[in-house]
Parts: sequence; C-alpha cells; structure tokens
Amino acid sequence: MLLDPMGGIVMTNDGNAILREIDVKHPAAKSMIELSRTQDDEVGDGTTSVIILAGELMTVSEPFFTMKIHPIIIVSSYFKAMDHALKVAEKIAREISVENHEEIADVIHSCIGTKFSSRWGSLIVDLAVQAVKAVFINKNGKKEVDIKRYAKVEKIPGGNLEDSRVLNGVMFNKDVTHPKMRRFIQNPRIMLLDCPLEYKKAESMTNVEMTKEEDFAEILRQEEEEVCKLCQAIMKFNPDIVITEKGVSDIAQHFLLKQNISVIRRIRKTDNNRIARVSGATIVNRPEELQESDIGTKCKRFEIKLVGDEYYTFMEECEEPKACSILLRGGTKDVLNEIERNLQDAMSVARNIILDPKLVPGGGAVEMHVATELTKIANTIEGIEQWPFLAAATAFEVIPRTLAQNCGCNVIRIVTELRSKHAEDSKDAPYWGIDGNEGKLADMRVIKIWEPLVVKKQTFKTAIESAAMLLRIDNVVSGISKKEKKQGPAGNIEDAEI
Amino acid sequence: MSVSILGSRESGQNIRDTNVRAVQAVANIVKSSLGPNGLDKMLVDEIGDVVISNDGATILRSLEVQHPAAKVLVELSRLQDQEVGDGTTSVVIVAAELLKRANDLVKYKIHPTTIIAGYRLAMKESIQYIKDYLSVKTETLGKDAILNVAKTSLNSKLIGAESDHFANMIVNCVEAVGIVGPNKDVKYPIKSIKVLKCIGLSAKESVHLNGFALMTGRTAQGMPTSIKNARIACLDFNLNKFKLQMGIQVLVNDAKNLEKIRIRELEITKERIQKVLKAGANVVLVTKAIDDFALKYFVEAGAIAVRRVDKKDIRKIAKQCGAEVLITLMNNEGEEVFNESSLGSAEEVTEERLGDNDFIFIKGMKKSSSQTLILRGANEFMLDETERSVHDAICVVKRVLESKSVVVGGGAVETALSIYLDSFARTLGSKEQLAISEFAESLLVIPKTLAINAAQDACDLLAKMKMYHAASQSSSEEKKQEYKYVGLDLANGKVRNNLKAGVLEPTISKIKSLKFATEAAISILRIDDLIELAPKPEKERDGH
Repeated sequence: MLLDPMGGIVMTNDGNAILREIDVKHPAAKSMIELSRTQDDEVGDGTTSVIILAGELMTVSEPFFTMKIHPIIIVSSYFKAMDHALKVAEKIAREISVENHEEIADVIHSCIGTKFSSRWGSLIVDLAVQAVKAVFINKNGKKEVDIKRYAKVEKIPGGNLEDSRVLNGVMFNKDVTHPKMRRFIQNPRIMLLDCPLEYKKAESMTNVEMTKEEDFAEILRQEEEEVCKLCQAIMKFNPDIVITEKGVSDIAQHFLLKQNISVIRRIRKTDNNRIARVSGATIVNRPEELQESDIGTKCKRFEIKLVGDEYYTFMEECEEPKACSILLRGGTKDVLNEIERNLQDAMSVARNIILDPKLVPGGGAVEMHVATELTKIANTIEGIEQWPFLAAATAFEVIPRTLAQNCGCNVIRIVTELRSKHAEDSKDAPYWGIDGNEGKLADMRVIKIWEPLVVKKQTFKTAIESAAMLLRIDNVVSGISKKEKKQGPAGNIEDAEI
Repeated sequence: MSVSILGSRESGQNIRDTNVRAVQAVANIVKSSLGPNGLDKMLVDEIGDVVISNDGATILRSLEVQHPAAKVLVELSRLQDQEVGDGTTSVVIVAAELLKRANDLVKYKIHPTTIIAGYRLAMKESIQYIKDYLSVKTETLGKDAILNVAKTSLNSKLIGAESDHFANMIVNCVEAVGIVGPNKDVKYPIKSIKVLKCIGLSAKESVHLNGFALMTGRTAQGMPTSIKNARIACLDFNLNKFKLQMGIQVLVNDAKNLEKIRIRELEITKERIQKVLKAGANVVLVTKAIDDFALKYFVEAGAIAVRRVDKKDIRKIAKQCGAEVLITLMNNEGEEVFNESSLGSAEEVTEERLGDNDFIFIKGMKKSSSQTLILRGANEFMLDETERSVHDAICVVKRVLESKSVVVGGGAVETALSIYLDSFARTLGSKEQLAISEFAESLLVIPKTLAINAAQDACDLLAKMKMYHAASQSSSEEKKQEYKYVGLDLANGKVRNNLKAGVLEPTISKIKSLKFATEAAISILRIDDLIELAPKPEKERDGH
C-alpha cells in the first residue's frame, strides 16, 4: 500500500506501479526505476523480476571489486552471459498455436497468479483473452494488437467482480442529450460527427453592421436557419443515432428529436475512434458532405443503461468488432484500480503471445535452467572473465529464490533441490520449477505454468544492460558545484552500488 | 607603487600555480574515462537529472567550472568535439600535462616565451612527423580498416561489448550517405544520418535503416498504415480553416453573408487538399497543423497525412525523395495550383510501433542518401550515452573516409612522437631544447593513463614500447620499421603491433587534438597576471 503526498492511496503488487510512486533520490536507484518503466512499455509484464535480477547482478559483482577485478572485465563477461542466457531460453521455448484459447489462458493465468485478482481465478484471464482477440488484426501478414487505443477499460464501482465482462462492442459514460430521445434501438444507423451542431463563427474577424432594428432579428433567424440546414443534412440519411465530439445546441436537439434521432454529445475522440471501428462508420466533419457509406450499421444494439447512479451507453452485438470495452465492476475504486493494472498486465501478456507465440516454463524454471547451463558454459571460458560469468549465472537463481521466499518455504532446501533437479541429465530437467502456491517443486508442464519468451528475454536484456551501465561508473559528480570539481577520481565505485 | 584597483590581483608564479592546479583538477575528472578500459561518470545536476557518460566533452560541459583557466580546458574539449567529434578526453589530458611540465620549467627560471616557442616548434615537428611517417593510407588496408576505426572509437564506451555490431552499422550508414562532390571527392554529410532513440529491447537490437524515420504517428486512425509506391507531398503551411491575417476585419451588412464567409473558409482548405490529392499524392507531410475536418479527405483518399513534422526533417525528406517543400500553392499568376512535379516518390511509407511509440518510416527514396539508426536500450540514460558514442563513431568514420588516412592507436603515435622529439631536441642548441623534451615527455601521458586505467604496469609497458619505437627510428631495416606500429594491448597487458590488431584512429583527429592541446596550453601559459574586479557596489536607491 502506497500513500502519495496528496494522500491518495495506491494498493498494488505491480512492480512498476510501486516504483513509480516512490520518490527516489539516489541517481543509480533512479535508473533502476527507469528499468521497470522500460519493461512495462515494451512487454507490459515482468516489471518486478527485472528489478530483482538487476539488483542481484549488482550484488554478485561486489566481491570482485574487493578482488580488484576491473569493472570492464565484469561488464564484458556479463554481456557474454546475456548472449548465452538468451540462447538457452530460446532453446527450451515451445511454440503454441495462437488459435488455442486454453493454452493462452494458461499462460496468462500463471502471469497474474501472483496478483490480487487471482482470487477470481479465470475471470481476468478470460477478459484479457477475449479483449485481445477482439482487437487483433492480421492484415497481410502484419499482426497488429493495439491495446492502448482500442481496448478500453471502464471501471464502475459497485456490483460484483463477477459482473465484469468484455463487451462485444464499446461503452462510454454518456447519456442522450434529451430525456425524450430513445434509449434502446435495435439495428441502429449510426452517424459519427466531430463538428458542433450549433452556430459556428467564422475564423476570420467578421463584423456585422446593423442599422435597423429588424436586422437584429434577421441575424438571429439566420443563425437558426444554419443550424436547421445542418440538421436537415443529417436527417437526409435517416440515422437513428448521432454522436458528436463537440456540442449540440438546443435548437438542433429539437429538430433531431422531432425526427426521433438520439443524440450524444461531447464524446471523447478516442471513444469516437473506437465506435467508428465497431460500427463501421466514418467520422465526418461537415454534415453537408455526408455519404451513405459514412453511416455505420454493423452494431446491432444500442442501449443506455443506468449503472450505479450514472448513465452508460452500450453499443453491443457488433458484427466484427475491431475494438472493445472491458467493463469492470468491484467493491471500491482502489480495488478496481488494482484489477485494472492486473488486467493491463494480462492483456500485454496475451498480446505478446499472439505476436510471438513462444513460451518458456515459469515458476523460476527457466531462470534455474539458464543458471545451470551458464555454469556449464563458464567452465569453457578462459581467463578471469570466468569468475564474473559464473557470478552472473548464480545471479539468475535469485528469481526462484525469491519465489521460494515469498511462498514461505524453506528457501535453502528448496532451491538446492531445484538446482539438483536441473543438474540431472534428463529431458525433464529444464521444466522443474517452484509451485508458488504449494511451496513445492513441480513440473511446470504439469501444473501449466508458462510465460511468454519475449517477456523473459526482455527481462534478461534490460537487467544485464543496466547493471553493466551502473558498473562502469567510477565517479559520481552530484550537485555540480565548484566544490565537487576539485574532487579527484577516487575510483569510488562503491558509490554506484545500491 | 602600482595602481590600486578595486578587487584582487594575483601575479607571477602564484597565478601560474593556481592555473595549473585548476587545469589538473579538470583533467583528473576525465582521466579515468580514457581508453578501452576507461569507466563512466555519473553526473547529477541540481534538479537530480542524471547523465551517465564516458565522453570527455559531455562530462566537462555538465560541470559548472568557475576557474577561468579550467574553463579554457572545457572550451578545448568542446572545440575538439565540434571539429573532430572524438578524442575529447585525450586532448584535455595532454593539455593539462603540457601545462604542468611547462610550469616546472618556469620554476627553473626559463621564460614562458621560450617555452612557448619550444612547444610551437615541437608541435609543428610532430605534425609533420605524423603526416610523413606515422599515418597509413586506408587504401592499403581495405574495408576492415574503417570498421576497425569505428570499433576503436566505440571500444571505450558503454556499448563497447557490442562494438562489432555497432561498427558495422555505422560504417554502412556513413558509406551510404556519401555524396560525390564536384572535384570527385566524396563528402559524407553526417547530418543525413538520423539517430532515433527508443526505449526497450537491448542495445544489440539497434538497427540501421535505409531511409528516413519520423517520430510521429499518422494523424488519423482511419489512415492506412502502409503505402507502397508512395508519392510524397511536403507542405509548409497549415491546413487549418482559412483565416485572414491579424487585424483584417470583414464588415458585412447582410447576415446571410456571414455564413458564406464561414463556408468559404472551409472550402479554401478543402480545395487545397483536393489539389494536392488530385496530383496523385498519397503521403502528405505538413510542418504545421491539419484541422480535424480536413482529415476526412485524406482518410477517404486512403492517404497518410502527418502533421507537425519538423522543418529540418521535411527539408531532408524533400531533398531526397525529389519533392519540393511548398510554402504556398500560389503560382506566379496568383492561382492556386499543385503540380505533380512537386511530388516526391518513395518505395514504401509505413507506420510501425517500436516500444510504446509510433514511427513513420520512409523507405527507398528516389535519391536515397538518408540513413536512420534506431537505437534501443534498457533506459534513457543508456540511450543517451549510446547516442553520444554512436555520434563519436560516426564522426570518426566520416573523417577517415574523407581523409583516407589513419594512425595507429593504443598510445603508439604518442610514444613514437615522444622518441622522435627527444632526439630532435638534441639537435638544438638553445633553451628550446628543454621545452621540446618536456613536450616529448608530456605526450607519454596518454599511454600511461591508458595503462593505468587498465590496471596494468605502466612503467613496464612504457619502457617496452619506447624500446620498440626507438629501434624503429634508429634503424632502416624493414623489419624494424614495423615496430613503429607497436602500441598497447590493454586486455593482456602486453605490447603488440596495433596496425595488425586493428586499433586505428583517424590521422586528422590526432593532428587536431595535438594542435588544440598545444594552443590551449600556450594560451594559459601566457597568463602571468589575474585581476579580478570586485563587483560594483549597487547604488542604493532612494525611497522610490
């Protein structure tokens, strides 16, 4: 639980979310925080493990400084270790078919197993899989999964978490402008606008000179007429719903109401884009230029419902939705926020799998395997580089170790056991990991704990590169003042340590 | 008595000592970042922003140096950065060493002007010697030489471990931007290389792209993400609703005309867009804004429109794809036209997602000379440092490709020069002899620092190197001639033939850094008086 200076509360288990809130002073520590952000941006998961791994890599390098091994040597052997680690991870990776719903669900399950929402089991997993499938586009070989733009999470406090679902369409927090307008339409014709339905002034400075009293009335009438013209242009196409990003004047409402058209105004651009995607409509700016093809008909149900104490518009039962909204319900806002973060992680994982359907065993199995393999390779390395290489190999064990610690079992015993399992020369060896719930060793294939290869690879890369960067620093000049300038290079590498 | 001044005055030996101390302090800061085993500095400024760097110029720039003599040194490294792009650390170290030794000479009552004359002579001699004996033509070495130059520059940096990958990328990149000038000499404008940074993946996944990349997405989501056989229009005016210039008012009597004005405003922009689209453009780059209402026309035409493109970028793109940057559609007759001839062409324009950002790539342009390097890395500090390192390497490669001549690195040149100058000094009968031999001794600071940074026995290595170089200079035997390429092998703590090992630097960089270092040392040496005026007391204001 984190309390920010404003008194806001964040409750989370997500590495990135935690670190983002913490105010860190030390420059090196700051760079670590950056790491989890990178990880979040690139793959969206594994934010905690990247920090743990990078920290461990720094820790294991410490003895070498007392042994007077040059940092450059440590760095170069770390890079070597990274190359090998990636190769090893690649080797035990297994490809799955994207179509296989269950397998993807298993992976996501293992990823969010640690999170708060794991109590609701498959719910979040199903949500994520459905949402990602909805926004997945395979256009002539180019796969595109744009979660950021087209999968929107709507959180509504209240209700049960079980009520959460992925809409076969979109929803947003808006009501029709006039209470008399229809709130439920089957097979609506949808028109999307991004212009105001009210009288607009010209951009250039225009003044009207009035000399007579009648002129004033004339101008007012003129303004009305223009709005009327706009409405007529719209009515020509006989839409059932008009949605605009800008305002709608009372008079335009009146005209449209008479034609039994529902109007929604001041909708966000991003929402409008999503509606355009699900309904097949084009967003039009000038009503005069409307065409039949701009009208969207792919959405089969338009409904405005009262959820909690606010009205929400639902557009559902779309033919081929290329966007979706995810409706989350839950006790309080904090719970919802945490669930949303979990869901984002889960969706990123789902996206990663769809884009690159390769899996590695989770539960610390892959790290342990990498550690064992690297130890073997270390023996073939000549010179002092062997030491840091070996250290890097052991650093990878931090992941299973931390896992074991967090599930409260006997760390030393279980990690040793795991190590011996991996050292066995059998085919099953690389798949042994820690079952976080039971605190026992298990074959990851049996309990179905898998993680996407991309995430693991990114974790290794980020952790090692950043550790290398920090190791290379031998001088910290802070505050940048005259005083600091006089300070010679004391070779104070320890400064760079966390 | 002397004239009294408001403020403090320091002169004679005193000031020289202070100057040397200040300069030495600056040099000490960067000293440990020299060479393949040099380490990085972490700089934290007042607001807590962090810069991690190995580049001498960057480190010194970030320091707020106050001492005037030290400032000269900071300027020096900046100059080297501008002129050559690399060798910023070594130039500072050499200058500081020259100064220190000169100061010692002054203590033996040798007049600074004599020392200056000696330094000048030594500098001239050494430049001549580099040109005549030490430089190697790249033609005799093949393409590997250029790769090696890039690698040598990168080796000392954070991305040194991936130097193979980066060196390849950079050399390909620089070679691709080559333009043959009127005198048949090839120029490599490094400005046509765009370096983009993108957080994520690892340094090794940095890629070299033949084409141009813009760090913006397409304006509307409805636009296609990829267009083959793109026809590019570059516009330098905004596609907003037409607006009269400031201060112009339209006065209407009839209210109906108001609406006409409004419609006309929209129409003007619409017509402009349609003219552009009609000419066949399917990629439209605009430096200014595009109104939301205008986007629809592009979406309908299936064209990509990009707004707020940097002006520099659009010029580059226009030049390479054969387009014309139009600031208006107006022709001489006052009509608005868009000619097909103002369109440029490219094989493909695509939008791709890297990390969390969208990029627009323009590939296969007609006169493609533009290259893009996309750098990836763990976090921002790392990317910044990678960018600086890549920039250094690009500069170095460019120098070598243009001047076609390299020298051997790893302290070889400095040692050779030192030996040469030492014997040269003995041919002179004047006081300059002392200055020149001090100059010779100062140059050795580079191999010394290199060895110290690598935690090797500096004395031992230096003695060995000196022996080889002396042998090569004193005898004309062919085999011994090879010895002039002997430099340090820091990984193993030995000496070796660095020409064969591929440790190369551009000749011009060495020459320039020698020149700059000597000039800087001389200019500080000439100072024998420092007058610091006290700030004028502010006049007290009266009540108002």
